[in-house]
Amino acid sequence: MISAVLHRLVLSVPVLFGVLLFGFLLVQIVPGDPAMVVAGPTATADVVAAIREEMGLDQPVLVQFWSYLQRMAVGDLGRSMISNKSVTSELGAALWPTLELMIGSMVWSVPVGVAMGTLAAVVRGSLIDRAIMALSVAGVSLPIFFISLMAIQFLGVKWQIFPFIGRPGPWYTAEGFMALFLPALSLGSILIGPVARMTRSSVLEVLKLDHVRTARAKGLSETRVILAHGLRNALIPVVTLIGLQVGYLLGGAVVTETIFSWPGLGRLAVGAIMSSDFTVAQGTIMIFALGFITVNLIVDILYSLLDPRVRK
Amino acid sequence: MTPTPIKRAGFGLAAAMALALPVAAQELTIIRAQDSNHYDPPRTTAQSGAEIIFMLSDTIVGLAEDMKTIEPLLASSWDVSDDALTYTFKIRDDVSFCDGKPMTAEDVAWSLNRWQDPETKSPVRWRMGDVKSITAPDATTVVYELNAPHSELLYQLAQSFGSIIDKDTYETLGKDFGVTGFNGTGPFCWESWTPRDKVVMTRHDGYNWGPANYENRGPAQVEKVTWQIVPEAATRTVALLTGQGDISPYIPFIGYSTLRAAPNINVIKSESAFWTNYMGFKITKDLVGDVKVRQAINLAVNQEAMAEDLFFGEVEPAYSYVSSGALDYDATLNDSLLKYDPEKAAALLDEAGWVLNSDGKREKDGKVMEPLAISFTGEWQQTSEAVQADLLKVGIELQIEPMDSTVYWGKSATDEFEMYVMGYPYISAGDALNLYFRSANIPTPNRMNWNDPETDELLVAGSQATNETDRAAAYAKVLHKVHDNAVWLPIYHRPMQIGYSTKLAPFEAHNIYGAGLYKGLQLTFTE
Repeated sequence: MISAVLHRLVLSVPVLFGVLLFGFLLVQIVPGDPAMVVAGPTATADVVAAIREEMGLDQPVLVQFWSYLQRMAVGDLGRSMISNKSVTSELGAALWPTLELMIGSMVWSVPVGVAMGTLAAVVRGSLIDRAIMALSVAGVSLPIFFISLMAIQFLGVKWQIFPFIGRPGPWYTAEGFMALFLPALSLGSILIGPVARMTRSSVLEVLKLDHVRTARAKGLSETRVILAHGLRNALIPVVTLIGLQVGYLLGGAVVTETIFSWPGLGRLAVGAIMSSDFTVAQGTIMIFALGFITVNLIVDILYSLLDPRVRK
Repeated sequence: MTPTPIKRAGFGLAAAMALALPVAAQELTIIRAQDSNHYDPPRTTAQSGAEIIFMLSDTIVGLAEDMKTIEPLLASSWDVSDDALTYTFKIRDDVSFCDGKPMTAEDVAWSLNRWQDPETKSPVRWRMGDVKSITAPDATTVVYELNAPHSELLYQLAQSFGSIIDKDTYETLGKDFGVTGFNGTGPFCWESWTPRDKVVMTRHDGYNWGPANYENRGPAQVEKVTWQIVPEAATRTVALLTGQGDISPYIPFIGYSTLRAAPNINVIKSESAFWTNYMGFKITKDLVGDVKVRQAINLAVNQEAMAEDLFFGEVEPAYSYVSSGALDYDATLNDSLLKYDPEKAAALLDEAGWVLNSDGKREKDGKVMEPLAISFTGEWQQTSEAVQADLLKVGIELQIEPMDSTVYWGKSATDEFEMYVMGYPYISAGDALNLYFRSANIPTPNRMNWNDPETDELLVAGSQATNETDRAAAYAKVLHKVHDNAVWLPIYHRPMQIGYSTKLAPFEAHNIYGAGLYKGLQLTFTE
């Protein structure tokens, strides 16, 4: 088990290097000039040139890449080209709000999705099954900005139950919890559909297997048969799906964070790219990559916990 | 009426919150659309930077809401030498920074010298004029010497770039000044900045030296101000409606009618507009090189319809390059402004040799009139498309290339287009003309390639005039010249509009650099 984890960790290193290289090249080829952004629209050409020189953008790309690698080797992510704020502190400030949002969205949507999928499988072909599947198709099809705006319209504006701008504090404070509600509700809603559909098909597969028939033959209650013998074995593909969906959630977080003015990584990445802030953009790309690698690692570990055969 | 379960849940949660949270007294949330790159006065040209800097610090002189009257601020009085080369400012001796340290003339001289220091790389250094020296001979006197007169010096010194900051704090923070901290003499003090999220400032309790045009010269009534960034336009409107924000100058045009109809929101609108949106012509390009073509394009576009249909009647259709309310605007210009007349536009194009071909497009010497306009995405793209539709009616097929702002600024410094879009704030006609029409400012911000020695001479004469009459006369000539040559297609003047909660007392909006709340001293809760 430990060696498998170590093996995965070692394999992550070249992936991370590839992402760093890709991130550097990407921001180089994207059109845009941070010096123009800093100088503003009324600046003369000589002022822009002076600012460009100060930022080191007048250096050849290879020189910039070498300096970038040197910084990365010692864990120095540099400073924002626009604000001069340390990239590490920018990322640190944005990381937790995004994690909070993702956990907040998964903590309700995964159980709901699994429960809906299981119920649909158990009552397969019934009206409830069809209703759940229709709902999950709607969840997959509706764009997140639409769900977010509807949530704001009804829960924020019409009934005025939840706030919908900013993050006044962490989730465990009253204000923070209320502010997290709508973004987490909106973001989580995109996860329900895929989880419910995958759970349904997986549970249906498992319920046909011999060990389930044996469990029933032993006289176990139907609930126990479904939950202990059916659902547990059906969860492996669901866990994989959730791992993959984390990436989708990060993408959704970019939109959700913008609509709800949530100060997370998604907004940081968009803001950095929009202002050609190369160092911050590279930092967020690296954090996203690390996030994917970590989630995949966790999925692998969960796999082996759920299915002992994987450990062998 | 029985509350619904949802409402009951809401009341329950609200009650829980009310118990859990302390009562927030005199705290104000201002909603805005975007952040600044940082808040270091001479280095940021962002409107969103000026909004914060005006509240955190003071300039030596202030500007009244009429955008014409210069008021004492950190300087209680000043003398100008007969040759207009030396300004001697008497600095107040009762002013202190947020950390309690007294402010002296030395701080003023140091801050202004830092603005002009080439090491600072201020993009707006030119606004200071041709400085010879800035010195502080004693604790309450600053002498500002120029090599050549600068007729608008006091107006430029009233802008946020000339804000006075504490030297010691700057030396401690270095480039982190305006990033991790700030120490100024303004009505509010820096508490924190979370980029792309919010700026929080608290009241400067000792403040009592606000501009004379304010009824309350300090301290501010509001104890804490949070500038919350809400990037989504519709969310900004509903945030104000639902009381999640108290005030916002960043309401989309479509939202104002809703706000006016709401019982809990007031909207103020300034009488004059000091922000003009226009499309410029790259006059060195063949397609728009002929003044008749440019005049025809001006005549073919219906600014009034655009103001009504695109901007919901919230803006003033523009035919001049600066608002008629601006200092040194020449009213005689009004008679010669180009207003919507598509028939005259068609006649001018015929006269210029651009005749309609069988496809209904203008053609000359085998070349079709298809000028390329570069544009921002979003609102500007819609504006460009409206212009495109009007021009098509006279046979001009405008091509539009929309792009993101980061790409746009670089592209607009090239010669790869015939037209471009721009919106800009100004404090006077001279401010606008000196920036955009000097030949030395080609390729940016003079993106038209307008290179006219007489304009340059007149602009120098205006900026070096030693009296207001000469200054106004010189700028009037430039205004006539550039309008006669139709180097821009003005679209609209944008007045400052602010939506605010009825919990706040009515106030007057300012227009300085788009910072409608200026020092924030007028913000008062009525409850």
